[in-house]
Amino acid sequence: MSVPLSQMWAVASYVLKQRLRGTTRYPLVLMLEPLFRCNLACAGCGKIQYPAQILKKHLSVEQCMAAVDECGAPMVSIPGGEPLMYPEIGRLVTELVARKKYVYLCTNALLLKEKLEAGLFEPSKYLSFSVHMDGLREEHDEAVCRDGVFTEAVEGIREALRRGFRVTTNTTLFDGANPLRMREFFDAMMDLGVEGMMISPGYSYSKAPDQEHFLRRQRAHELFRSMLANPKRRWKFNQSPLFLQFLMGKQDFECTPWGNPTYNMFGWQRPCYLLQEGYARTFRELIETTKWENYGRRSGNDKCRDCMVHCGYEPTAVNHTFSSWRGFRDTVVATVTGRN
Amino acid sequence: MTEETLEGWAPEIGRGITLEEVIDRAFDYRGNVTVVKTDGTELEGYLFNRERDAAEPFVQMFDRAGDGPYDIRYADIAGVRFTGRDTAAGTSYAAWLRAKESKKPASGA
Repeated sequence: MSVPLSQMWAVASYVLKQRLRGTTRYPLVLMLEPLFRCNLACAGCGKIQYPAQILKKHLSVEQCMAAVDECGAPMVSIPGGEPLMYPEIGRLVTELVARKKYVYLCTNALLLKEKLEAGLFEPSKYLSFSVHMDGLREEHDEAVCRDGVFTEAVEGIREALRRGFRVTTNTTLFDGANPLRMREFFDAMMDLGVEGMMISPGYSYSKAPDQEHFLRRQRAHELFRSMLANPKRRWKFNQSPLFLQFLMGKQDFECTPWGNPTYNMFGWQRPCYLLQEGYARTFRELIETTKWENYGRRSGNDKCRDCMVHCGYEPTAVNHTFSSWRGFRDTVVATVTGRN
Repeated sequence: MTEETLEGWAPEIGRGITLEEVIDRAFDYRGNVTVVKTDGTELEGYLFNRERDAAEPFVQMFDRAGDGPYDIRYADIAGVRFTGRDTAAGTSYAAWLRAKESKKPASGA
């Protein structure tokens, strides 16, 4: 168990409140993209291919906070682009923490040490640096298409931990990932002292340069089963244990595309973090006018067929925990025993 | 990975392709386009949204300076040219791997 109890309680009480109100579609994590600019150009990323004037633009803190208030999700993930390149990242995080939002600042950590030394952030139970780490040095540097990034990210993690910040890692897995190396990677991250790890198969963005190495569903199940079989007690995952079971093929979930809504300079992205099929001007418009029946595996939509990404399935896992005694029991058992 | 790109394409509406289809391609294109309006004026920029199902279908754009968004009704669009560089083309993973391999020192020489 690596998610702090206060965060678990905040999420649990939020979900129960939504269910008591009879709200059928509610967000769990707002994916807030203040900019698309990045200091890396990873082969698996389809988020940064834009003309120069778009890469130079960013949201204002006021626009970000208006989206946060409108959405109401208890957790805010700040991906991008590279959020540490956002000129107002310090003020944005301060405002989010003041609203008691649990913030995951998703970073490649190349600028982390510099920003920490500049005093941009204060340690808080609400703030976690979620550092992009796609494996050990060789695998990570290959995934991000630049040598030396793993070493710099490790330095950033060490510095953040030394200063008392919460640090997690987020790992995207592609075809060809070696389960044994990944188990070594889990050991290495725990040795570093991170609070927990997040893992997810990659999504085949149509605009990503690398289209050949995304995992298809059956291969993904095999990979995650090999990787997570007999998990070590010391491995901590900062995500729902039922989502991990889903990755291993032990749970059959459907996607919850509205669970992690995405807001950026274009508006509220339809239908999810991964697909860009249009934008709504308001969160309400997103929820009420998106044709949700066209998405998810059962819809037959080709783009959703092999997707197993956390932004669609982790909300399903969390909902499952609170929608039945069986779901609740499965979660408790997996959390307490550490068995997936 | 396909290296196909629409860069430089200037389709003639009505010749085997509808305005709606061209706008869909422009929406999917990761470069600037030039929207030619029915009054003869043009707007070059990034077309990031299109609402086909609205009562009056429209597109949304940021211009080349990043200003906007500007809404333009389908009814006011005469055509679209794909004038900007396709930022999603030509940066394949295979090319990166080749470059990486070429940097390694030759062995057994």
